[in-house]
Amino acid sequence: MAAKHPETELVPYLRGGLGTDRRALVEQHLEQCAQCRESAESASAILSQLSAAVAAVPAPDWVAYRADLRSKLLTARGEPADARGRSRSAVFRIPAFGWPSIAIGAAAAAMLAIVLVTHRGSSVQAPGVDQLELQTDIGSADVGLLANYRVVEHLDLLENYDVIEHLDELAPGDHQNHEASS
Amino acid sequence: MAAPRLRGGLIQVEFSDDELCGRIAERDANAFELMVDRHQARSYRLAFSILGNEADARDVSQDAFVRLYEAAGRFDGRARFSTWFYRILVNLCIDHQRRNRWWKRLLPLAGPGDNPDEPAFDPPSDEAGPEGDAMLSQSVRRLRPALAQLSPQQRAAVLLQTQEGFTSREIAAVLNCSENTARVHVHRGIAQLRKLLRND
Repeated sequence: MAAKHPETELVPYLRGGLGTDRRALVEQHLEQCAQCRESAESASAILSQLSAAVAAVPAPDWVAYRADLRSKLLTARGEPADARGRSRSAVFRIPAFGWPSIAIGAAAAAMLAIVLVTHRGSSVQAPGVDQLELQTDIGSADVGLLANYRVVEHLDLLENYDVIEHLDELAPGDHQNHEASS
Repeated sequence: MAAPRLRGGLIQVEFSDDELCGRIAERDANAFELMVDRHQARSYRLAFSILGNEADARDVSQDAFVRLYEAAGRFDGRARFSTWFYRILVNLCIDHQRRNRWWKRLLPLAGPGDNPDEPAFDPPSDEAGPEGDAMLSQSVRRLRPALAQLSPQQRAAVLLQTQEGFTSREIAAVLNCSENTARVHVHRGIAQLRKLLRND
């Protein structure tokens, strides 16, 4: 036992943190080893000074401490902190309307941009038909329809629009088939 | 189990730390207030002893309570609550010191007391009033700068042992090391303090 100094066990021994067996072994060693006895005595003095240092820790203003803590907690939870009790970290808090509102706004703006780009893109990618000629044809068709209003008032309006919308896809045979079916 | 106690003619139910932590996990604001009541003085004192100044001790100990609120649901009760909570606190203190040293190295305009190799402790003011002088004995005045020269792990281990009465096993749990390593931290910390104070 004397050959190996129980250095790391001296403080637990002094603090009563050793089991019965280890405590007995350390006591036995201390009786035989002057070097460890001196270490234990000086460690004991240091521990006493540390205990005195604890008593000398100045207490903060607990009311202000708690107000600041509440403010920090609100900030951590994403809630607006009271301006009076604002902490240092609260300077970076999010706006009162919160991140969800910002996210929804951003999503709406993105959707609007996508719709505009798609709309613009579709007009650019229209089939290779002369737009002016097509509009003239549609206009004359509308005038013709208006001239025969009594006939066309019984036609399915949606079907008419569907035909107009797909004029560029119509083949001559389709026109005859359509007339035959109607 | 909550223990009923008679206080001022009223029966008060006193919850254990584990029970309060469970309630905090369910976002019970009163439980959180009770928990802070119970631990604020100890946690502030430990943070002050590790960090060496009031502002940092206040800030870091408050941050530890915020972390407690956020992480209460992850406390599984296998360790003692105090061990779990002081692990949060000590880690925050050590992180805070590391961050401060990094900043101090980056700031060339730092004052003479800001050398990262110098003690991080604020020296006790000589202008303190008679009450302050009475509180701060000569030994304490010498001890604080010496404590500041220990490694963060040694300082935390020594303070947990002496201030909080933690066992080697609990210190090991807080510092996330083996029990033997915790004892070595305490031993080396005390030996270093002895050497520094002898040379002072």
